[in-house]
Amino acid sequence: MQTLEQPVIATDIREDLVQHREKTLEKLYAKAYPMVLHYVKQQHGSPDDAKDLLQDAIILFYEKVVHQKLTLTAAPTTYLMAVCKNRWRHELEKRNRQQELSPEVGEQLQEESALEAPAFALAAFVDKLGEKCRATLVAFYYLGQQLEQIAQQHQYRNVRSATVQKFKCLERLRKSLQGFSIHHFR
Amino acid sequence: MRPELEEIKLLEAFLGGSLHEEQEQELEIQLLWDQGLQQKVKLQELAYRAVQEAGRKQLRQELQAIHNRLFLRT
Repeated sequence: MQTLEQPVIATDIREDLVQHREKTLEKLYAKAYPMVLHYVKQQHGSPDDAKDLLQDAIILFYEKVVHQKLTLTAAPTTYLMAVCKNRWRHELEKRNRQQELSPEVGEQLQEESALEAPAFALAAFVDKLGEKCRATLVAFYYLGQQLEQIAQQHQYRNVRSATVQKFKCLERLRKSLQGFSIHHFR
Repeated sequence: MRPELEEIKLLEAFLGGSLHEEQEQELEIQLLWDQGLQQKVKLQELAYRAVQEAGRKQLRQELQAIHNRLFLRT
């Protein structure tokens, strides 16, 4: 059950993000980046730090709003700023700790985080499916678009054919991941 | 849809927790002895993770493009 006060904002931003992603993200970015940049510069960071911080925060924001149905009790930029500030504090602590460590240990830590890093290793399997499959799977499962919208944007005959294609793409992806799981999970 | 695709759809509902109680129990019991099916469930979970990564990657690229458009002075 929705109450009539704040959740309305969240519903609208969800609609906007899913239906008009580019425009909505651009507006959000235009507003938030100068704020994050100002803050990070005051806190010993660079413009690149500000950019990475904000982009991570927006990705998190998108996932929360679209998938977890986050109910916003503040403006989106306020939320983004809070996430950025919080993460920047952690980042500064991490950097300070690494400076205090001996060079060898610091290097070791970096190697470990490099091992965690194949963040996009799995994405490569999706890329290999071809652009239409990739875009369809991402639009449905990640961007949270409706099949009607997907059918229109990606030139499927109708919703039914988009649905079938989506499962066919998933089937191909599942098959191609067999090799990956043998190497990484056994 | 052909049976293989129907099965993918079924596993999707199972993983998303949207199966009816009876169907869910039936599947859980089958999973106890059916190693082929266990493997399929694992791979399908992995597939969703892959799509999530691909989604993040796309969003990151879109944000980077927005950044360049708005804030990069050439």
